[in-house]
Amino acid sequence: MNFWRNLSLSLRVPLLVAALMVAVGIIASQLVLSQLDRHQAARIRELARLHVEALSVALGPHVLRDDIWEVYDTLTRAAGASEGRRTVFSAVAGENGRVLAATDPRRAPVDSPIAALSAGAERPGALSLGRAESRVRLLAPLVYQGRKVGQILTELDISDLIAERNATRRLLLLGNALVTGILALLGYLATRRMLLPITRLVAWMRATEGAPHPIPEDQIPAGDSELARLVHTYNDMVCAIEAKADAERRLAERERFVSLGRLSSSLAHEINNPLGGLLNAADTIRQYADRPEAVRKSVELITRGLKHLRDVAKATLEQNRLDRTRAPLSPEDFDDLRLLIGPELSRRRQSLDWAIEAPPSTLAAFPAAPLRQIALNLLLNATEAAGEGGRLGLAVRGREGCLCLLVSDSGPGLSDAACQRLLGTGHDLPGGGVGLRLVHDLVRELNGLVRLDRRAGLTRIGIELPIPERPEEAPC
Amino acid sequence: MAAISGVSPAGAAKPFRLGLTPVFLDNDAAVIERLQVALSGALGTSVEMEQRRTYKEVTEMLLEGALDAAWLCGYPYLQHRDALSLVAVPVWNGEPLYRSYLIVGADDSAQALSDLEGGVHAFSDPDSNSGYLVTASDLAMKGLRAEEFFGRTIFTYGHRNVVRAVSSGLVRSGSVDGYVWEALARMEPALTAGTRVIARSERLGFPPVCARSDRMQEGDLARFQEAVLNFGDSADGRAALDLLQLDGMTRATPALFDGIARRMQILNNLQ
Repeated sequence: MNFWRNLSLSLRVPLLVAALMVAVGIIASQLVLSQLDRHQAARIRELARLHVEALSVALGPHVLRDDIWEVYDTLTRAAGASEGRRTVFSAVAGENGRVLAATDPRRAPVDSPIAALSAGAERPGALSLGRAESRVRLLAPLVYQGRKVGQILTELDISDLIAERNATRRLLLLGNALVTGILALLGYLATRRMLLPITRLVAWMRATEGAPHPIPEDQIPAGDSELARLVHTYNDMVCAIEAKADAERRLAERERFVSLGRLSSSLAHEINNPLGGLLNAADTIRQYADRPEAVRKSVELITRGLKHLRDVAKATLEQNRLDRTRAPLSPEDFDDLRLLIGPELSRRRQSLDWAIEAPPSTLAAFPAAPLRQIALNLLLNATEAAGEGGRLGLAVRGREGCLCLLVSDSGPGLSDAACQRLLGTGHDLPGGGVGLRLVHDLVRELNGLVRLDRRAGLTRIGIELPIPERPEEAPC
Repeated sequence: MAAISGVSPAGAAKPFRLGLTPVFLDNDAAVIERLQVALSGALGTSVEMEQRRTYKEVTEMLLEGALDAAWLCGYPYLQHRDALSLVAVPVWNGEPLYRSYLIVGADDSAQALSDLEGGVHAFSDPDSNSGYLVTASDLAMKGLRAEEFFGRTIFTYGHRNVVRAVSSGLVRSGSVDGYVWEALARMEPALTAGTRVIARSERLGFPPVCARSDRMQEGDLARFQEAVLNFGDSADGRAALDLLQLDGMTRATPALFDGIARRMQILNNLQ
């Protein structure tokens, strides 16, 4: 049954048609054969009836007179003259049921009871034929001048008729099998041809490998058949999928900018804070230009502030630039992330547990852009969830062929809608951000898993990413 | 029954009518045809061979004048001895004598007539010497009647039929003309192989050719007697005799049939 279910529709339907053809052939053969059997049985019954009637006519007067010799002589002459020695054995009994004579007197001695021989004998009119019976035994009343004067028991050899019937059956079966076979083959081929567009459609769908392409116009069946409409519908569906994918790409892009936007205020604050100090240092230099020590300290202060600003700017630039470079992941990427979320943590006065324990070689097996996006989105989500003075953490570890990212926060936990977006279960509810949905999609593209649990007051989102067999190519 | 006539050379001459019974070699059309040809040639007139089922029928036809002559049996001849005369008697194995055989199936253990009590017995004809009288008189000598001694008796109206009935097992035993049995043993050995002779009678007068006594002096009967007695002289006659496995024909006196007459007396005494 599984084999049948695993067969393609383009094979199953033609095979079903062929099987139906065979079934029809078998039923038709059975009907013809049963008709043939009935015809033959009627013929043999007629033969038996005529045989008995002829014997009755010939034997009647002799039986009436108990003329044993004449009965015997008539029986033997009739048996000898019967067509192809049809009569194998005949016995005639008088009214008292005692044998008068038989073609084989040793088998049916004179005066023996005919009942001893007639067990299983049938009436000529009710004769039934078995499949391979070559002889039939008949018991019929011997009627002479309208009066029953005795009984006739006769065995007829019908092997020639049975052989003829079997030969006809064989011929018929062979012919029907041949015709059925041809019809089944034609049915199979015709159905295969009719289902060819579906086969092509399936081939197109298989060839897409996750990115379906519309079927070219020249391969769409002509006319307005169901199959043509099916292909058009498929093409419309492919276009809709492409449009949806475009929309999702745009949404992801927007999300990236949204997350950057969310960072921008913190970044402004981060830039603004040192700016006051830098300006003060500049004033100090201007006021105490003659005091080398004060100038030197101010210059050092200005230098540190400017370096900090440079690092912030660099991290921001990296976040935008990485998508295009396909650079491998490194510990420095996590340093950038820590730098990027640092202002947000400071603003909310949150504490951070940071543990990047995965070896660089493990990290390098993954592209940096999606990993950074995943970690950044989860960390931003954690800062949002943890609230003022909350606690969050990031742990990155390599374990049994996987890279595991664990982001935790002390917030109240994810809402149902957020869970669905993160885990990819159910339909996306309207509203809400696309950050968690983007995490889910990126993890899926990397063949990874998302786990979510909550214990000891912490919401823990685990990401398990299998290490690819071949590391991503290094950027050119 | 058939009446077979030969073409008369004289055209309108009255055919000679010879009666035959199936007790004789009834199955051999070639024998009858040869006889007819031989007699026609010898008599110079057409011959009609009249066959009937029983001796009784043929005898009555002969007595009524429907036949000119008939090949009968010694028993019916003696029954009508006052009206019938002997024309000729066949010679077999050098003598105008034959025997009656009592036969049983080849695998039957019976050794004598007394062993056959209660069985089914086949006679050829109630007016046949070898096919009835001999066995019936043998039983009569013991004070027995055939229809009581045997469980059932049947008449087959043909010596060959008696052999068939015994050989096939239809009956246990039969009374048959010894000459016919011996002739069949040569011509159809498979048939007689199914039988075994357990008793042979004394030699008795061979079935004779008879005619009405009052017609014996008529010219056609005289010519017929002459032709029959000289049967072996013509090629056709010789061929017919060969087919019948007979040596020839001879004159005979009623004394030839004294043995049959004695048996008739025995049977009559019982009745």
